[in-house]
Amino acid sequence: MPIDEKLLEILACPKCKGDIRLKDDQSGLICDQCKLLYPIKDDIPIMLIDEAIKLEQTE
Amino acid sequence: MDLLVTGVAGFIGSHLAERLLKEGFQVIGLDSFLDYYPKKIKENNLKGLVSDNKFTFIEGSIFELNLKEILKRVDAIFHQAAIPGVRASWGKEFNKYIENNILGTQVLLEACKDAKIKKFIYASSSSVYGDADELPIKETSATKPVSPYGVSKLAGEHLATLYYKGYDISTVSLRYFTVYGPRQRPDMGFHKFITAILLEKEIEIYGTGDQTRDFTFIDDVVEANLQAFIKGKNGDVYNVGGGSRIALIEVIKIIEEIVGRKAILKYVEHQRGDAQHTYADISKAKRDFGYTPRVDIYEGLKRHYDWLKENLDVYR
Repeated sequence: MPIDEKLLEILACPKCKGDIRLKDDQSGLICDQCKLLYPIKDDIPIMLIDEAIKLEQTE
Repeated sequence: MDLLVTGVAGFIGSHLAERLLKEGFQVIGLDSFLDYYPKKIKENNLKGLVSDNKFTFIEGSIFELNLKEILKRVDAIFHQAAIPGVRASWGKEFNKYIENNILGTQVLLEACKDAKIKKFIYASSSSVYGDADELPIKETSATKPVSPYGVSKLAGEHLATLYYKGYDISTVSLRYFTVYGPRQRPDMGFHKFITAILLEKEIEIYGTGDQTRDFTFIDDVVEANLQAFIKGKNGDVYNVGGGSRIALIEVIKIIEEIVGRKAILKYVEHQRGDAQHTYADISKAKRDFGYTPRVDIYEGLKRHYDWLKENLDVYR
């Protein structure tokens, strides 16, 4: 199930509180400012700084 | 109407969210999966919710999420998130109670200042009373917690009332009396008793076993939330009890009867933080929003047992 558009509107980066965008393959939410990826697992966005993945490691 | 349930993966939060969805509401659920008990248990609690397309789950912390944006979409909040446990709240651990139960509540209330929240229901606890001077306990009875946990829940409750007085946020606090039923936390009494009898393990009884509790079945607590959401008086606090009290040792006898097997009892020292007796006067909740507990201890324990028997693997 694709992630709800409305949900994207209410979520922000937990670290900088800035905008996030959906990764192309829908596997997570990206904060370009902090260069962090917040994974989406089983349609659930994991908005925890501790569980975020540094973008350099993945892209 | 969109409703927010914090602590949605917990025992009470998950039941409450299921009921709100059944009533036709859209529900946003938050949980940060604090490690008080294993995540797989909480994921199991969520099983019935995540498949519902009126339910949105966000794994995140009140301290990190963009509450302002979330609350723009929300009409009411059921704030169930907290670190539980009276016995675990002593010592260094108290830091976590301050952070999650007091500061967490304050941060959420603060975010409500700029939002149009119609109701903020705060999950309080009978532990705010401590050892009561008189029974049944009224909302006007003295609040003298006997555990740091009780102190933290009382502080959160005061904050809720304060934000009503200071900022006109429509808060209502519900003081839950020992809640039980399917999905009860694994550290709680009935869960431990039923599991021990099923597996023929020893049950530790703290003190003499003649301490009494007002036990409240989960469905009644959920119903109280729904009614308080509609009719609860703003800035007020309400007892939510099961309507009767029973000694711990009597509970064991009922479980023995239901399971059809004798318990193996081991008496250990009274636990610091435990109140001796609790028994709620629920006339105020009845008067203001028609609260009447429907599930008695026999029926409730039977339902708790039937569920746990089928879900024992989740807890092992």
